[in-house]
Amino acid sequence: MAQDPLRANTTPSEDAAGIAHVDGSGSAKHVRHVERHAEAGLPMRQALKQQHKIAETQIHDITEKFRTAAGALAVGQLVKDEYFTLFESITAIEIMDPKMDSGFLQPGETVEESYDALAPLLPEEVIGIMDQLLSYEMAWHTGYPLSQTLFTSVYIDKLLYPESRVFEEAQFYRGFVPDDKRPGVLLEVLRAYCLALIKCCDFVIAKIVGRDYYEEEDFCTHTYNRVLFVQVPMDVFQRELNAAMERLVEEETDMDEVLRNALVTRLEFRLDMLTALDLECPIERLQKYWPTILKSLTLIDETHHLGEPVPDAFSTKIQRRLASTVPPRPIVELDFKDAFQKLRQLCDDCVEATRFAALPVDPLEYQSFLWSYASRTPAPLPYSRAYLSTILFHPNTLNTSMSVPLMDLRTLLLPASPILDQSNWTLSPPRDILMPKPPRLQLALLIDEFTERAGQNYIDLWTALGQNRCRLRRMLGHVILGWDQLCQDTAAVDEDLMRVVHDMGIEDEVFPFPLTTWVYHKKLWMMEKMVLLGFEQDIYFPDEFAGMYHFLSEISSGRRTILFRIQAHISDRIYALQDHRTTSKSTSTSPPPSNPQDQPATQQSQDLHDAHTYLTSLLHEATATTALAAALSTFYIITLYLRLLPYPIRPFSTELLRHELRMKPFLTLQPPEVQAFDESVKSLQPYGPYLEPDDKRVWRELGDKEGLLWRVVDERLKEAKEGLQGLKKGGAGVARAGGVQAEWEEEVKRGLKSCVALGVAVAGVKGVVGALAEVGRDGGGHGGKGLGEDLGIRLEIPGIGEGKRYSEGWVVGKVGKVDKGKGKGKGK
Amino acid sequence: MSATDAPSTASADELQYVQYEGDKEELYLPAIRQLISKDLSEPYSIYVYRYFLYQWGNLCYMALDSDKALIGVIVCKLEPHRSGTHRGYIAMLAVRETHRGKGIATKLVSLAIEGMVAGDADEVVLETEVTNTASLKLYERLGFLRSKRLHRYYLNGNTAFRLVLYLKEGTATKRADDAMRAMEGDRVVGDTQMEEGRYDREQFA
Ligand SMILES: CC(C)(COP(=O)(O)OP(=O)(O)OC[C@H]1O[C@@H](n2cnc3c(N)ncnc32)[C@H](O)[C@@H]1OP(=O)(O)O)[C@@H](O)C(=O)NCCC(=O)NCCS
Repeated sequence: MAQDPLRANTTPSEDAAGIAHVDGSGSAKHVRHVERHAEAGLPMRQALKQQHKIAETQIHDITEKFRTAAGALAVGQLVKDEYFTLFESITAIEIMDPKMDSGFLQPGETVEESYDALAPLLPEEVIGIMDQLLSYEMAWHTGYPLSQTLFTSVYIDKLLYPESRVFEEAQFYRGFVPDDKRPGVLLEVLRAYCLALIKCCDFVIAKIVGRDYYEEEDFCTHTYNRVLFVQVPMDVFQRELNAAMERLVEEETDMDEVLRNALVTRLEFRLDMLTALDLECPIERLQKYWPTILKSLTLIDETHHLGEPVPDAFSTKIQRRLASTVPPRPIVELDFKDAFQKLRQLCDDCVEATRFAALPVDPLEYQSFLWSYASRTPAPLPYSRAYLSTILFHPNTLNTSMSVPLMDLRTLLLPASPILDQSNWTLSPPRDILMPKPPRLQLALLIDEFTERAGQNYIDLWTALGQNRCRLRRMLGHVILGWDQLCQDTAAVDEDLMRVVHDMGIEDEVFPFPLTTWVYHKKLWMMEKMVLLGFEQDIYFPDEFAGMYHFLSEISSGRRTILFRIQAHISDRIYALQDHRTTSKSTSTSPPPSNPQDQPATQQSQDLHDAHTYLTSLLHEATATTALAAALSTFYIITLYLRLLPYPIRPFSTELLRHELRMKPFLTLQPPEVQAFDESVKSLQPYGPYLEPDDKRVWRELGDKEGLLWRVVDERLKEAKEGLQGLKKGGAGVARAGGVQAEWEEEVKRGLKSCVALGVAVAGVKGVVGALAEVGRDGGGHGGKGLGEDLGIRLEIPGIGEGKRYSEGWVVGKVGKVDKGKGKGKGK
Repeated sequence: MSATDAPSTASADELQYVQYEGDKEELYLPAIRQLISKDLSEPYSIYVYRYFLYQWGNLCYMALDSDKALIGVIVCKLEPHRSGTHRGYIAMLAVRETHRGKGIATKLVSLAIEGMVAGDADEVVLETEVTNTASLKLYERLGFLRSKRLHRYYLNGNTAFRLVLYLKEGTATKRADDAMRAMEGDRVVGDTQMEEGRYDREQFA
């Protein structure tokens, strides 16, 4: 609602899947979008087709036909053809409406801006313009179109339009200028700065369109047919910047030293920026550039006050000449302070991203890193995210001896396993195709089949982790469905695998149905994350908390069960290995049949122990999630009965319908993860409806601090704390988050703090429930007397992003006292 | 809840709630445009209004005072959605500033939902800015849930919630039949961001 009507006028956004690789040209990319739509024969396209045909058009006089047809209609009667879509209605404009018609001029208004780009500038003014450009650049980075930001600059416009045939033509003028109008040093300085800035934009667009992003939602790549020096190599811009710096120093000897330094700093900053943004920058050198930029940032900040703004050097009128159907829209003003903050954040985030290149080759470390990066606050800008995913999807990262999903699978389920023995891949099939293949070769082939199938799902998860946080949640929904399908497709491969394992007699060494188990485990993990993201994004109402935490707890508990079984299996294998060693020492028999030939027993035992430790860490984490979610769920059930949470009547909805809507993303999953509605009511409303509990024990139970539900909260809370403490003790490295140790530790700490906060809230509520026996005497439908604020307390739900939650996904209500007499009637 | 027993104050009751009529465009549309565009940063062209009113005038309700002045209005549509559901969509809602907080919007939305129920809708959806407390509160009290957060959904860079109300069981598991799927390409553009087309063309959808 209240949509901006003109949104649709800009480039229709593309599916992420439709985005091709870097072509180094934002504008060319845009053209391609349009063509794509053309082929599909979509509405926008029809307009274009018609344009092309103009040349061959023949003219028919339809006046008479039109009159006759129109005569059949009443005045004011509307006619609509079926091709008139909402899209077209939104993109339509009304001629002569000043807000819609870009050609409409107010009386006395001119089409062209009258600013003279060749007029001499003071150094203060050049600084002012440069810093203003920086603000617009950052506004663009945060998602506004160039037309409302950088392209409002008269200087940038002059450089880009008309398009120069040779680079030297890109001046603040075209053609001949008399000598006395030729730009002086300061204008040359500004020109070099602008040129480099434009090239920076080109690099930024190319980097972003090379990755998955969402036009307008994340970023606007539209260049309105302006070509941002796509073909001009970077050194040309570096030369311009260096030349400008030299001239400043050599020719402007009279200039105030401070001002000159401020200008040089800005040119140097552009130079560094250009180098850092360069698409060709080799991955191993990435780390070098950002710190230099960060240093010059301080200098820019300190000298910003020297600048003198030149508002006339920016104009909305330029938009009229841009290739766009959108009428001029206001310039986006971003304060220098805020812009600067964004710039600093951009640099910090890129620095952080470069650390990815130094991670150990381990998809689980990558996953931790990606998760932690996506959780940074403020959220990384689209450029930084594209920057990280360029490193992530760099061939260097992906070119590993073992496929990425397989490494993950090995860590969780198949450490030191005969199934993944390298030698399996060295066997060749029998000459006679009628002969059965050797079992080990069969294993290798099955694993290959699986990894090939799973690769895309794995990439999908990584891709989702690179999106903005809102989209991450929604995309996870799709990724989960993909993994669900993978799980089903894998079942057959797993069966074949188990048959071979059986034939080889190595069942003891293989966790049953390892592939599906691994897929299933990952799927559950994603589901947990998705629910937590829902809390983090303020998707659920307070009266849904109990249900959603209950659901989270159920999923997590399922994952925990799997982890237990895997760990038990690993333990068995460790014992078996020890047993074997002791027996083989005493009896000196041959080595165990399946012991991978090139893997000494010590290595095998080490791998198994590592896996065991990793599983312990996972178990602590799953335990903590299961228990904390259960504790919160129960706490919110209690507070719903106590009417400490709002519980709207919702005339048009029912609990059943809301349950269905909430569970929609998970309803089709196999095996089913969603509790049937009746079941969930039983778990969530143990004493009957919250407003009319029909189980008479409710008040006695809730009034007794040792009552059943209270005991559940206390016990689960204790369990959650123990889980988190265990997790903390194991440490980030063991949890495969060594690359983001500080962030990981912080997250665990936040979990612990949430537990403490829940403990406090529980105590706060318990402190006032003594009076509930009174309520109980009236039985159920007493209309809420003695409940809610009559208890003398209020439960406040901390909002998102206010720093009031220890962890955004764990919403812990805060108990406050109600000022009797005053507080009544306020809130619910 | 029926339209008549909606919780309303005296002031909401004094008003007259009438359905839009296509042949009275001249009478109503200018006032509707004026009321709606007050809260927009950019105006809608007349075609946007006509797009809705021509096809779903019966789902447009107006609150008029005793002088027949327009106090509030709601504009909707109802049609098959590519997800396979028969989906109602609330496109515009506004109440004159001087008359807010009196339950007028609540009544208008209730009327529209009832109209959609009568039109066999499976669900009703809409988007609203995450900071629009009045709007969120009003829809959520009626039964809408937040289903998605949409980053930078509006041109002004603001983020939206998608709100959804299911009216029938089995809505979540409805599937687009093949005929609908074949239309998908057109629909996606046809819906643009006015509905979820824009941001919901998820990669894996
Ligand atoms: C949203 C809007 C239509 C609500 O109209 P209304 O007639 O005032 O709404 P109602 O009186 O039926 O109910 C609104 C609810 O929000 C509350 N509310 C109203 N204004 C509020 C405000 N500024 N802040 C917080 N709550 C507010 C009301 O008190 C009421 O809740 P309550 O009964 O629990 O107190 C009106 O504010 C409006 O026209 N806004 C501008 C356009 C707009 O935002 N449209 C909706 C876009 S999706």
